[in-house]
Amino acid sequence: MTAALRPFDAAITGLGMVTPAGIGAAASWQTVCDADGTAAAPDPVLDGLRTDFSARVPGFDADKLLGRRKAWRLDRCTQLAIVAAGEALADSGLDVAAWDGARVGVVIGSGIGGAATWEAQHKTLLDHGPGRVSAMLIPMLAVNMVAGYIAMEYGARGPNLVVATACASGASAIGVARDLLRSGACDIVLTGGAEACLIPSIVSGFAQMGALSKRREDPRTGSRPFDAERDGFVPGEGAAILVLEGLADARARGARVHANISGYGSSADAFHATAPHPEGRGAEQALRLALRDAGVGPDSVDHVNAHGTSTPLNDAVEAEMIRRVLGDQVTVTSTKGVTGHALGAAGAMEAAFTALTVEHSFVPPTANLSQQDAGIDVDVVAKAGRHQPVEVAVSNSFGFGGQNAVLVLTPGSPGGQGESSQRPSSAAV
Amino acid sequence: MQTVYPRLVELLARFGVPETEITLDSTFEDLDLDSLTLVEFTLCAEQEFGVKIEDDTLNRQDTLKRAAEVIEIQGAAV
Repeated sequence: MTAALRPFDAAITGLGMVTPAGIGAAASWQTVCDADGTAAAPDPVLDGLRTDFSARVPGFDADKLLGRRKAWRLDRCTQLAIVAAGEALADSGLDVAAWDGARVGVVIGSGIGGAATWEAQHKTLLDHGPGRVSAMLIPMLAVNMVAGYIAMEYGARGPNLVVATACASGASAIGVARDLLRSGACDIVLTGGAEACLIPSIVSGFAQMGALSKRREDPRTGSRPFDAERDGFVPGEGAAILVLEGLADARARGARVHANISGYGSSADAFHATAPHPEGRGAEQALRLALRDAGVGPDSVDHVNAHGTSTPLNDAVEAEMIRRVLGDQVTVTSTKGVTGHALGAAGAMEAAFTALTVEHSFVPPTANLSQQDAGIDVDVVAKAGRHQPVEVAVSNSFGFGGQNAVLVLTPGSPGGQGESSQRPSSAAV
Repeated sequence: MQTVYPRLVELLARFGVPETEITLDSTFEDLDLDSLTLVEFTLCAEQEFGVKIEDDTLNRQDTLKRAAEVIEIQGAAV
């Protein structure tokens, strides 16, 4: 066992979100606080599939948001990421024109990358032959391009990576970004996750393995983490980008700090391709590592933003692991009740929601939780959000392949709330 | 030329090039089409006009006038 590195706080100085809960961090947070599960709806693209509903980003118009000249070259996954990155940078107050791009890194998590482009071009190949395949196929589908295009957009010439740990990708990316800051490899990192694979082949694959909700008659209640009648996840999409800087740097320039990334733990179950270890062995290891990395004990944790996918197995194993390690006093929520499961973007979206939870001292409720599973013995916040000072929060993310990433978040300003006061109206409950 | 050129202008809109920026004498370089975009544009033109345009027939220094001539020589379905 090696000694832990000294604790290091990476300040979240910018947030950008493009999620099924809305375009923009404020819109997404509001929808999540309202526990509004309307994100999931019948999806014409999935017509004829066993699960023919999904949680899409509502009204996303890439031509309008990015301009046609840029938008046509990018897969939707990258489009979502670039829009989120633009919001995050504006929120950070950093002057992109003046920064030293060589000191700016980009680390993005994505499970699959440009899947929709790949599927469409494969159809072109089969229908019309190789001479009609797009010259843009490779730069549109390759998963690394998400980070590459963000770098091109903003002149970020530092380390540039895409991290793929399936449904933990977004959280893993943020952890790696934090490590780059701590190592001194860069001064600023744009990090987060992006995913856009709501296409027939991918959704069929998830359906065939029995991972998806079959609640066709009422899709908006399909994602119901920790509920007794949960039956699988609702496939989603989206992007969330965080601007990270060392806390000292952020304070020196007078930046508003939403929250800090103070700990990161990463592990593998080394057990099964898709099922979690039955005792949550890898998840527990990642959680304990993250707490140790942050220099806090399990009894310091106030709140957990759970992976909480709404699958029978994940939620049971995760809840039991949370109770075992953190006790029964922590509040637990899963924002996937609103957003569905955005796969490689989920960990980043949830890190952003956790940062806003810490900033606003408000835990959003788990949508669609009407009857908590009797076997789940943790304090899941349901129906209405809860005002709660949060000094130490945990965001869990677990991926197929048994890949786990846990982040620890702490307040950006000593003693609780950040400087922003944009608490959503629904918080007054 | 009279039938091909306006359709090239329409095709360029798919790539986000505004009609107001385009003249017969505009080169692809003038219109800020990089090499990959030019390949993609050529693929779209082949489909639009039902012709085969061999690789490297058009380059970034060619004008739209020249592109229209190439397509007409190939026997565009107009």
